Amino acid sequence: MDFGALAGVFIGVVLINNFVLARFLGICPFLGVSRKVDMAFGMGCAVTFVMTVSGVVTWLIVHAVLMPVGRWLGNPEALFFLKYVAFIMVIAAMVQLVEMYLKKFFRPLYNAFGVFLPLITTNCAILGACLLIDMNEMYRSSLLKSTVFAFGGGIGFAMAITIMAGIREHVRFSDVPKPLQGAGITLLTACILSLAFMGFAGIGK
Amino acid sequence: MIVMTAGLVLFGLTLLFAIVLGLAKEKLRVEEDPRIAQVAEALPGANCGGCGFAGCADFAKAVVEQRAACDGCPVGGSATAARIAALLGIEVIPTFPYRPVIHCAARTEDKLGVVAYEGVHRCAEAHVIGVTQACTYGCLGFGDCARACTFDALHMVDGKPVVDYEKCTGCGACAKACPRRLIEQIPFKQEQMLVVACANKEPARNVRQVCKVGCVGCKACQRLLAAIFEVKDNLAHINYDNYTGNEDFKPVIEKCPAEVLVRFGKPKPEYARQLAEQEAAARVSG
Repeated sequence: MDFGALAGVFIGVVLINNFVLARFLGICPFLGVSRKVDMAFGMGCAVTFVMTVSGVVTWLIVHAVLMPVGRWLGNPEALFFLKYVAFIMVIAAMVQLVEMYLKKFFRPLYNAFGVFLPLITTNCAILGACLLIDMNEMYRSSLLKSTVFAFGGGIGFAMAITIMAGIREHVRFSDVPKPLQGAGITLLTACILSLAFMGFAGIGK
Repeated sequence: MIVMTAGLVLFGLTLLFAIVLGLAKEKLRVEEDPRIAQVAEALPGANCGGCGFAGCADFAKAVVEQRAACDGCPVGGSATAARIAALLGIEVIPTFPYRPVIHCAARTEDKLGVVAYEGVHRCAEAHVIGVTQACTYGCLGFGDCARACTFDALHMVDGKPVVDYEKCTGCGACAKACPRRLIEQIPFKQEQMLVVACANKEPARNVRQVCKVGCVGCKACQRLLAAIFEVKDNLAHINYDNYTGNEDFKPVIEKCPAEVLVRFGKPKPEYARQLAEQEAAARVSG
């Protein structure tokens, strides 16, 4: 097993091509749930779980359902137009599962998320991860690499949102100029954070 | 063919997920307080958010967890409150609407020492300057309260504010606007509430010099109804906690030498008539 390649995939998706800070996916929860570190971390964990499971299940759906059935029809790609529908369904089901799980075992976290938990369904980072896996030949050929990619994407999201929440907790007590208070300073913070992550660009190949 | 297969594939996947979620729902069932569902059932179900919670279910949860009062639903009103109270085995204590009353009844002709004021016609301004009239406690009459009212429920009549209790919602904007803190929100335990319409804390001699209708602090009211009236700092106060509305105020009002005990509340036909006359006059002159 090529462990180095897997590490490369992981580092690549966490730091270099971070979903939030480099690909600008999943901005909505990134700005919406980053008010407190513990909530942001919980959100990051939920997204990581949903993203990992969705990544694996969607890979399986493409390779174990859509392609064999397509081959049976004569063209392996005949049913690829079903991808989006199937992916969204997987994500929605996974979010439901996470919601039930949190409601049962982590009630305070469930209450703290409120409406943002069901909104993971529409988190574009997750659908983005599934589609990126499907677009890239490297991930398409290996379930293990896809899993690491999806997991790393979730970890990268969790890291970004937790850092953001840490900064925002400090910004709350700073003397922000009046026109920038609220959304303005948040977007500026996200922008500078994203700039900082540009420093990773070019690492690796 | 492709369409048929696509439909079948999607159906199969959906069925799979449905089974997984159904099993998960059984496994991860959370025991919830059954009263939450019962209370939610008793609510109107409009999900209007008027209670301040995110919909009726959230309010029901808050009520059961005692984070909200059972009469918190503004749509359902007292009937819903009674049903919820019955479900939870608690008693509803009737609450009274808080409405503003004005602790100054001096009309323009009652005020003494009013000078021609050329400054900005705002109470806040006149209050700071402090020389527009002799009484330093009473209503300045420039109508900051009337301007603050967003419900058109407060008008200046004869130089003093008059509340239209049909329109008033008790929001308290007028009380905040008054720089002399003459407007107080009191619990309206009956249609008309007795109010000490004066705020002057000077001794009798000084009050008589500045106003024809000011409270002189003679303590006549306190002698007659000690449970309700208290004279403090040369000024009568009404204790609204003890106020039931069943008291016989007639001898007190007759005894009061200054006529500062005024009934506030609806209906006030004489004010309505005055207002109508003023409006008519304004129409004629305008």
